[in-house]
Amino acid sequence: MSRVQRTAELFTALQAPLPQSLPPRLPPAPPTPQLRRARHAELWAAVQWPPGQFATDPPAQLAQQALLAQRYTPRVSLEPPDALLLELRGSVRLFGGLQPLLAQLQALFAATAVVALAPTPLAALGFARAGKSCCLTDATRLVSRLSPLPLRCLRWPEASLQRLAAVGVSTIGEALRLPRAGFAQRFGADLLQDLDQLVGRCAHPRVTFVATERFSSRCEPSFELTDTARVLHTIAPQLQQLEQFLLQRQRGITALLLRLIHRRQPPTQCVLRLAAPEHRAARIAVLLQSKLQQVVLAEPVRRCELRSGPLLACAADSTQLWQAGEHGGGALTQMPAFLESLRARLGSAAVQGLCMAAGHRPELLSCATEPVWQSASARRVATAVRDTSLPWPAGRRPLWLLPDPRQLPLAVDGSGHPLWRQLPLQLLAGPERLETGWWDGADICRDYYVAADGQGARLWIFRERDAYRRWFLHGYFG
Amino acid sequence: MTRPESNPQLQQLLQHPALWRGRSIAPQATVATGYAALDAVLPGGGWPRLGLIEILTAQQGLGELQLWLPALAQLTTQPEARWCAFIDPPFELFAPAFVMAGVQLDRLLVIREGQSLWAMEQALRSGACDIALTWLSRVSSPALRRLALATEQGRAPGVVFRPAMAEHESSPAALRVALAAVPGGVRLRIIKSRGVSRDHVDVSWAP
Repeated sequence: MSRVQRTAELFTALQAPLPQSLPPRLPPAPPTPQLRRARHAELWAAVQWPPGQFATDPPAQLAQQALLAQRYTPRVSLEPPDALLLELRGSVRLFGGLQPLLAQLQALFAATAVVALAPTPLAALGFARAGKSCCLTDATRLVSRLSPLPLRCLRWPEASLQRLAAVGVSTIGEALRLPRAGFAQRFGADLLQDLDQLVGRCAHPRVTFVATERFSSRCEPSFELTDTARVLHTIAPQLQQLEQFLLQRQRGITALLLRLIHRRQPPTQCVLRLAAPEHRAARIAVLLQSKLQQVVLAEPVRRCELRSGPLLACAADSTQLWQAGEHGGGALTQMPAFLESLRARLGSAAVQGLCMAAGHRPELLSCATEPVWQSASARRVATAVRDTSLPWPAGRRPLWLLPDPRQLPLAVDGSGHPLWRQLPLQLLAGPERLETGWWDGADICRDYYVAADGQGARLWIFRERDAYRRWFLHGYFG
Repeated sequence: MTRPESNPQLQQLLQHPALWRGRSIAPQATVATGYAALDAVLPGGGWPRLGLIEILTAQQGLGELQLWLPALAQLTTQPEARWCAFIDPPFELFAPAFVMAGVQLDRLLVIREGQSLWAMEQALRSGACDIALTWLSRVSSPALRRLALATEQGRAPGVVFRPAMAEHESSPAALRVALAAVPGGVRLRIIKSRGVSRDHVDVSWAP
C-alpha cells in the first residue's frame, strides 16, 4: 500500500461519523502483578474519630488534626468529615521501625480515635471504622482479614447497601465473591472501583493535605539592636517582602506576630491585629511603630521573626479624586483605620462597641461587642429594620449602669426611705416591677424607682422584694 | 436682663442696618440640640459642628449626657454616619436608654484605657468620628488647646465634661456651658460662646 493510499484511508476513517451512544463503561481490567507489588510498598494508617467528635466547624478541626499528623509523614490526606489517612512507609526508617512509629501515633490519637494500619487506604479506613485497631502489613492476608467486616464500613450509599442486603450480601468478603461484570452492571462501576481499591487491585491516588499558607520570615542583624526604633528600621525589608508576598496572592492579613529574640531573656512578642485585611507595608509599619513604642526591651535584640496570620481575601480599593475628608470624599474609608491605630496602642480590649441583648434583666441587657464596621450601603438595611417598639416606659432607663448594684443605707427616722450621701432620696417615679430570670437561677425580683437627690441628680434605684427589703443604687440618668 | 425679643422698641432698634450684633458673625455648621429653648440661644441654632465644647457639672448624673442624646441620635442615623466615640466614660453605658432615644448602637465606640487625652486627640484628628466625648477631671490648658486644634483638623466637635470648679480656668473651648439641676430639667448657664453674652436657659426633660 502506498503512502498516499494510507493517508487517504486515514482521512476517511477520521471523517466517519461518531457512534451515537458511547459504549457502556467497562469494569477496569485486572492489574498486572508488577503494579501490585509496587503499590503494596505503601502502608496506610487511618485515624477515625467517632461521629460527632468535631461538632463545631468540622473542616477546621480536621485540618488541625492533619497538622498534628504531619509530624509523622508529609503524605497526610483528609477523609471528611472525621478521618485522616497517613502514608507511613516512607517514615518507618526515620522513626526507628514500625512499632515505635505506631506507638507514637497511638499516643497522639488513640485517646479519642481508632488507629488502624493496612496496605491500602480504604482497607485501613475500613478497619478503623469497624473499630478494629489492627496493624496489618502483609498484603497477602488483606482479603482474608477484610472479608468478615460488614459492608457498612465502606460508607456506600444507603440504597446500594439495601439492594446488596436484599441479595444476601452484607460483608466485604461476600461482595468480593460476586462476579465483577455483573456487580458493575447492577451496583455501578464506582462501587466496583471501591472494591478494587480496597484490596489493592487498582491504584488509589490521594490528595495530600497542604496546610494554609502563611508568611514567615526572620532576619539576624549584624549587630544587636538596643531600641525599638532600630528594630523597625531593620525589619523594613521584611515588611516589603510581606507586601510583595501578599500582592502576588492578592491577599491581606489581619494578624501579624513580631518576635524579638534576646540572648538570655525569653523572646519579646508583639502581636498586631487589624480590623480589615491589609497588605500595604507602609500602613503595617505605622501600626507596628505605635505598638513597639510601648514595648520595653529587657535585653538587646539578636534576631527578629515575623509571622503572619492566615491570608484573607483582600480587595484593593480604587484611589479617589478627592483626598479623604475633602468634599466628603472617602471620609468613611478612615473608620477601620482609626480602630486599628487605637488598638495598636491601647490593646484590642480597650476599644469596644455596644449592643443590646434580648431580655429584661438590666445587668444582662447591655453588652460590649467587637465594634463592627459596616459600610453605608449595608447599614441602610439595618436602619430600616430597626425595631423601635421597646417595652419600657419612656425616660425610665438610665444612661449609666453600675456593673454591681450598690446597697443604700436606710434613713434612721423610720420612714424607710433610702439614703444617698447621708440625705434621704426623693422618689420621682415607680415602682416598676421586674421579676424574671427564674429559669436560669439568676432570677431577680425588684421594684425599680426613679429617685432624685438633694442636688437634682436622678438615680435609678431598686428595692428587693425578698425578706430583707434592701435598697440598691443601679444607675444614673447622666 | 431684658430679652430683646420681649421688648418691641428694642426689637425695632435691632432692625437698624447699622447695628451689628455678635451672633451675626459668619454662620457656622451646627447640629440641632433637640431642645427648642436651647437651639434658640445657641449661635447657629444648635451645638457647633466644630471646636471644643465644655460641659461643667458639679456632680455626675445631672443630665449632662441626656442633653446630648437627641444630637447623638441625629448624628448616628444619618447615612454617612461616622463613629461616636465615648472616651473613658465614668460608668458603663446602658444600651437600652440609647436605643430608646433613637441612637444607632453600631456607630458607638467605647474606648477605655486611661490614655484619654491621646485617644481624644486621635478621635478628633482622624476624621473618622462625628463626635468624641470625654470626661476629664484635671486637664491643663495647653492640652485643651491641642484638642481644640485637633477638632479643626478632623472637622468633628469634641465634648469635654469637666467639674464645675474648672469654670475659672482659661479654656480654648468654643462653647462652655455650666449645668445646674432644676426640678424636671436642667439649667444651662452659657459661660462662653461665640456671639452670645452671658445667658442661661432652662431645658426640661420630656415626661
